Amino acid sequence: MSFLDRLRGTQSEEATATNLPSRALLWLIASFALLLSPQWDRLPLWLIAACAVLAAWRWLAQYGKVRLPGRLLRTGIMLVLIGVYVATVQGRFTVDTAASFFVLAVGLKWLETRLVRDFYVLFFILVYLASVNFLFHQEILWALVNFTGIALLLVGLQVLNAPELPGGMTSGWRRLGGMFLKTLPIVVLLFVFFPRMSPLWSVPLVSGEARTGISDTMRPGDISNLAQSSERAFRVTFGGEMPAYRDRYWRGLILDYLDGETWRQGQQEPFRALGRVAVDGGIGELEPNQYDVLLEPTDQRWAFALESSRAVSDNVFEDSADLFRFRRPADSPVRYRLALESEASVAETQNAAELRRYLQLPQEGNPRAREFARELRRTMGDEQVVRTLLQRFREQEYFYTLRPPAMPEDGIDSLLFDEKRGFCAHYAGATTFVLRAAGIPSRVVVGYQGGENGAGGDYLIVRQYDAHAWVEAYVDGRGWVRIDPTAAIAPDRIESGLRDAVAEEGSFLENNWASPQRYADVALVQWASLQMDRINYQWQRWVVGYQGQSQMDLMSRLPGGFGMRELGYMTAGIVGAGLLIAGLISALQMRRGERRDAFRRVVDTWHRLCATAGVPVRHGETPSVLASRLAKAEPAAGDSARLFARMVNSHYYSAGKDDEGVEQLKRMRRLLATMKRQLRRSGTRTGKSSD
Amino acid sequence: MKNPFRNRFRRWINRRIPRSDVQSFSQKNIFILPTGAGLVFGLLLVIMLLTGINYQSSLIYLSTFLLGAVFVGAMHQTHRNLSGMELTLVQPGEGFAGDDIPFRFRLKAGRDDAIAILLSCEESGLAPVHVHSGRSQDVTLPVHSAHRGYLRPDRVRIETRFPFGLLKAWSWVRPVSAGLVFPRPVPAPEAFSTVEDGEESAEARSVDGNDHADIRPWREGDLSQRVLWKRFARTGQMVVADWEGEQGSPYWLDFNAYPGADHELRLSYLAFLVNERGKSGVRFGLNLPGQIIEPDSGPAHAARCLRALAAWGEERPRDTMAEPHGTRRKPIGNSPQYAGEGQA
Repeated sequence: MSFLDRLRGTQSEEATATNLPSRALLWLIASFALLLSPQWDRLPLWLIAACAVLAAWRWLAQYGKVRLPGRLLRTGIMLVLIGVYVATVQGRFTVDTAASFFVLAVGLKWLETRLVRDFYVLFFILVYLASVNFLFHQEILWALVNFTGIALLLVGLQVLNAPELPGGMTSGWRRLGGMFLKTLPIVVLLFVFFPRMSPLWSVPLVSGEARTGISDTMRPGDISNLAQSSERAFRVTFGGEMPAYRDRYWRGLILDYLDGETWRQGQQEPFRALGRVAVDGGIGELEPNQYDVLLEPTDQRWAFALESSRAVSDNVFEDSADLFRFRRPADSPVRYRLALESEASVAETQNAAELRRYLQLPQEGNPRAREFARELRRTMGDEQVVRTLLQRFREQEYFYTLRPPAMPEDGIDSLLFDEKRGFCAHYAGATTFVLRAAGIPSRVVVGYQGGENGAGGDYLIVRQYDAHAWVEAYVDGRGWVRIDPTAAIAPDRIESGLRDAVAEEGSFLENNWASPQRYADVALVQWASLQMDRINYQWQRWVVGYQGQSQMDLMSRLPGGFGMRELGYMTAGIVGAGLLIAGLISALQMRRGERRDAFRRVVDTWHRLCATAGVPVRHGETPSVLASRLAKAEPAAGDSARLFARMVNSHYYSAGKDDEGVEQLKRMRRLLATMKRQLRRSGTRTGKSSD
Repeated sequence: MKNPFRNRFRRWINRRIPRSDVQSFSQKNIFILPTGAGLVFGLLLVIMLLTGINYQSSLIYLSTFLLGAVFVGAMHQTHRNLSGMELTLVQPGEGFAGDDIPFRFRLKAGRDDAIAILLSCEESGLAPVHVHSGRSQDVTLPVHSAHRGYLRPDRVRIETRFPFGLLKAWSWVRPVSAGLVFPRPVPAPEAFSTVEDGEESAEARSVDGNDHADIRPWREGDLSQRVLWKRFARTGQMVVADWEGEQGSPYWLDFNAYPGADHELRLSYLAFLVNERGKSGVRFGLNLPGQIIEPDSGPAHAARCLRALAAWGEERPRDTMAEPHGTRRKPIGNSPQYAGEGQA
């Protein structure tokens, strides 16, 4: 094929470009925009821009403002965009990158949406795009956005199938709403009873893209960055009393290796095969000592827990050092359940070899701190060293600040002796350093501290700005003891949270204009944000989090021991029953409709009357023929029969004016009665008996 | 393999849908199946379910169930769109062979609106029609005619894919009444009528005031012998004399005037002439074997002649399964007790 031919080919394609109804296309584009919105934070900017341009192009082409590109240009655009995509993805293959590619494919499809078939293709991929969105955002608002997007698509389909229907849009929405309401019970039943199978195969959702949250290394400035984020870390419901604010230490991980300035985990966590985390911790009644944590995705395996907890749900297990871990990284919200144990049962002992790990320090650096530690050690025992250190923090002019000065060289020295200004990470690191230098095994613990009450006060919301670092030291006979230098320096932080601790400084969420938590003094904002959170929490717990374990918990309360198989039967039963009921209802409606057809009934009566008079209806006979035969057989009724036949004809052949229908029907009934009388009379006269 | 199955299916359909000019649609005669798009939609639901299972996403489960329910809802909607409707053949059309013959149908909606109803017959179809509940609307469906005679579409298909195009519900109406297809007009060569003029034509002639000859301008197809060459030489006008008596009557269009020509061709010639005469408004009669239409003029006469040509030698189609207007599928009138009483 020559170049010219190819051009000509594209031109003939263009001729068919505009046979899609504009209004249907508009719905499709609106839905595309809506379905793209949940991905705005994940997609690269160029991709969103490209999608917008491609959809706009299609829209302008609909009105003949521009032409849709020919095959060559289209291929060119496709190659360029895919090239950019490959360059940005750099060979990572995850669900995230796959989703981006999917979006790219949808965008490119706009350029070749010419026929009804293409419209359907777009419909299908947009519906699937909505499903993909659910993988990344499960909040109720985003869910509504997605469902609205799907609804727009379905309205668009109706417009496509009846483009000229006046008022098609309103009736389309009404029809869809009716359908939705009628099928809602079945949908709910299916949702509850459809067996939640375990994944057939797994691709991790992890994208390697950074998430807000604590990390497994800690440099002095790290946690103060987190303090600028009001994103939710997790939410907790307690079976019994909530612990006091100052006791809400959520342990996440332990950093026990100091590498220059940076604290790391001394032992790498063992590598686990990629896969999906079990997201559902069950919905059974909470015991008084139990608590439920709903963790936002972290892409990590850490589960946060209060001290001396025990795992209850089986998607979480206890690692060494009293930490809890998932079996897979938490790439979607995970719910797990733990129980608090009485303090008494905690009495672990560790041998000296193991403890040596917690004495590690770099070879050099921070000489003044080392000297200070040696000084303390010379005169005091372990506990006294700790007490003295904390007392120093309490009594001297140490400041807790979100704006610490840069301390490039021997940071711990300048923090302890010169600047005396820092954030929890600074103090935790410095304290551990001093304790280790004094020969006391100690480690940095990273996690969260605090958490505000959710609306209604029945659960806790822990946010990123609650991230915290503190210290644990090993004391003979007492085991690992929590030491929090921040509590000594800024008691407010531990008693009521970061907001109060830095209130004077005014640095709370200073870089985060959009966060509703920043405006906590505006009661309405606070209230709205908490109510929203509560709705989302319930949504997350009962709808999004309704997976295998919850289903089994729920089923175990039903009589008759429901298992997977029973659930399968149940589902089949629900579908069958639903179809049956719907069928019955429509059949009943149909029968009623038939009964309502008065005209049919009148004509039937007439036929019966004719048959009684010895003139049964023949196949293919018109009313007039039947009437004339009746007239021949029973001349007395001839006139009325002919008139009746004319009426039947006029019913069929005149333009149907409904208002006249009722009158006409009345007239026909009267005529029938007359005919009956005439027939009876003639019957008795001629001696024919009709009864 | 396919054909026997097809035939059986067709016979089964024909049993279910007897010939009738009026057909109302209900569960008994509405067929419903997913369209291609509907099948793909089913596949999409399966894929979504798999995605939901694999990623343990309750919301994907939920949207799968919702869309599945919408699909079932659409099934009912599509079905109800058609059911309760009544399709009546109001006026079978007439036209020349090879043309599309317009058949007038009336669509009457039942309790529900009937939206985006597609009426089609073989290749020809109509744009979607919307009829609101209780209303009726007339449409004209062109039916392609191949040859002269009675034209009765075997099946007229009524279909709807509303609301989503994922399912199609369809049925057929098999009309009893037939349209008439006139022979395709073919320009006729000059012909000689074999009919002797009767009294009426003599009368007509005297009314016209022409005694023995018609002189008219030459037109294409006239034999050159009949041109009045002398007059041509004199006046320069080419005129033709229609001599009667010796050449048969010009008022008669005669089937037997074209010896050697095929019957259908003769009818085509006649149709051409009827058209022509009908337009010029002259009187003419039509002589067909077994049927003679006396000379007359006017469009009604021309139409009558065309109908006679169309129906010549053709049997009016009748179907034993046909039903009279206004009957239900099972006529009650035939029960023997009634018949017996009537004849007693």
